[in-house]
Amino acid sequence: MLTLTINGQPREVDAPADTPLLWVLRDHLNLVGTKYGCGVAQCGVCTVHVGGKPVRSCQLAVGDVGTRAVVTIEGVGNTTHGARVQQAWLEEAVPQCGYCQAGQIMSAAALLDRIPQPNDADIDAAMAGNLCRCGTYIRIRRAIKNAAAKPA
Amino acid sequence: MKKAVGVVVAVIVVVALGFAGWLFLGRDQMSFAGGATVELAKYAGGNVTGVPAQLADADLVKRGEYLAHAADCQACHTAPGGTPFAGGFAFNMPFGTIYSTNITPDKQTGIGNYTDAQFLAAVHRGIRADGERLYPAMPYTSYGYITDADALAIKAYLFALAPVSAPARQNKLSWPFSQRGLLAVWNAMFNPGERFRPNAGQSPQWNRGAYLAEAMGHCGECHTPRNLAFALDNHRKFAGALTAGWRAYNITASKDSGLGDWSDRDLYSYLSTGHAEGHGGAGGPMGEATDNSLSYLVPEDVNALVTYLRSIPAQATDLPRTVTTPAPASYREGVAVADANARGEKVFAGACASCHDWTGVSPVSGYATLTGVRAVNDPSATNVAQTVINGVDRKTGRGIAMPAFGQGYSDDDIAAVANYVTARFGAKGARLTGQDVAHLRMQTAQEPKEGSND
Repeated sequence: MLTLTINGQPREVDAPADTPLLWVLRDHLNLVGTKYGCGVAQCGVCTVHVGGKPVRSCQLAVGDVGTRAVVTIEGVGNTTHGARVQQAWLEEAVPQCGYCQAGQIMSAAALLDRIPQPNDADIDAAMAGNLCRCGTYIRIRRAIKNAAAKPA
Repeated sequence: MKKAVGVVVAVIVVVALGFAGWLFLGRDQMSFAGGATVELAKYAGGNVTGVPAQLADADLVKRGEYLAHAADCQACHTAPGGTPFAGGFAFNMPFGTIYSTNITPDKQTGIGNYTDAQFLAAVHRGIRADGERLYPAMPYTSYGYITDADALAIKAYLFALAPVSAPARQNKLSWPFSQRGLLAVWNAMFNPGERFRPNAGQSPQWNRGAYLAEAMGHCGECHTPRNLAFALDNHRKFAGALTAGWRAYNITASKDSGLGDWSDRDLYSYLSTGHAEGHGGAGGPMGEATDNSLSYLVPEDVNALVTYLRSIPAQATDLPRTVTTPAPASYREGVAVADANARGEKVFAGACASCHDWTGVSPVSGYATLTGVRAVNDPSATNVAQTVINGVDRKTGRGIAMPAFGQGYSDDDIAAVANYVTARFGAKGARLTGQDVAHLRMQTAQEPKEGSND
């Protein structure tokens, strides 16, 4: 039995230590907002925060999470930057099909945690690993800047 | 005048003989230890060959299986994705390509008709059942140290496998390397041709380690540089070498370029699992050596290997000391790389940063941490580029995987990211070009282009 801290709550999970965190979230805890994409950490869809860093949950074995706190798309709205990013996402109507968007929002919130006023190069460096097959990149960039400009 | 010519000729002859003698002396893999060796039966420390105590009562096939793992027959005698031991793996060398052969007991295409004497001749002396000579890609100058009993236990294991029909692939070698007969000369010069002799002045653990490293594991075949005649140059034993497109690193006691900074625990962990915290993980051929061979050894045998490795004299090489501090957390800080359009940084941001992080310390797995890894601190970036091209697919433990990017990225992109990674996380940035990467691809290709001898 493993104890994880997910979105601020302690959660008991009975899963083999080598299970990817993604499947623990989706199949064991029914937190299905985090999506499965490529399975090899190349698309960013499954991004969650682990210990404050954006991490591809398809590659992180649940046994390696340790004591690091996990935040998913279901809980990111309770953080300052997560709430601003989600609000900006609504205002810019960023998603098209929406499949990649949970990962985009998680990466964007982590970026603002680290760099509250990112420039274009900062956004490129932080978001390059999050693919969007609908090509919403222009709206994503605008929404991140919009979120950064929101009053504290 | 005549006298002067005579002197010059004499000097040339002496120098040539001296040089040949020097090459010849470099063939002995264990002479560095000094002291007297004795026959196995006369060694006071007990038997250091065979299987460990845990398997002493196991049947012949079971013992052979352990020894076949220790000798790592499988890595070379298996084509990628092919049936184990059925052969077909391509060795790309400067003078052509050699394919490993089928050593399942199939009577037509394998070794099913080999007698014990024929098997020993192949393993010890590199002579096939039909009398032809094997290329030393088959490491018989190392396997020559294996006892008859151990070699025949391996044979019993191989003969217990299901026979697979897999005809040998035609080697593609340029003249004169295509002439197997010439190997008689090479063998006379470079195959010691004697079974393992324990060193009387060393502990049983050291001698067990020597037997495992030299006779069985044939570590030197990749880790020891080769001389002009492509034989192992044990004057620079385990100093590191480029083998089949990957760099096998210096595993001597050198603090800068070798294992001098590794603890016994690090070594134990790396040998048994292919990973040591803070030193990175094994990929490429060493990953295979771990998955197919080293991970099967019992703890006592791994410890014996550590004891033996610790005794190898330091050899300084030109590798810089490994950087063990992480890179800055922001992509904006850190070493600047001369790279038009910051191509390497862009590739890293898109494909690598999610697992390896901008610091090099992976939030995902210690296996993916780049900080402190020898390959990342190798300014040739050979293994970094090969890892990007081929990915990592490890079987030991819970399995470790990195995608292969060779098909998705151009040679120029791979060169740029390898240069960026070595500069950001290592001691010195590489200067690979797209052409270098194309060359590296060819060296590990399993389906080399027709007519290519490169």
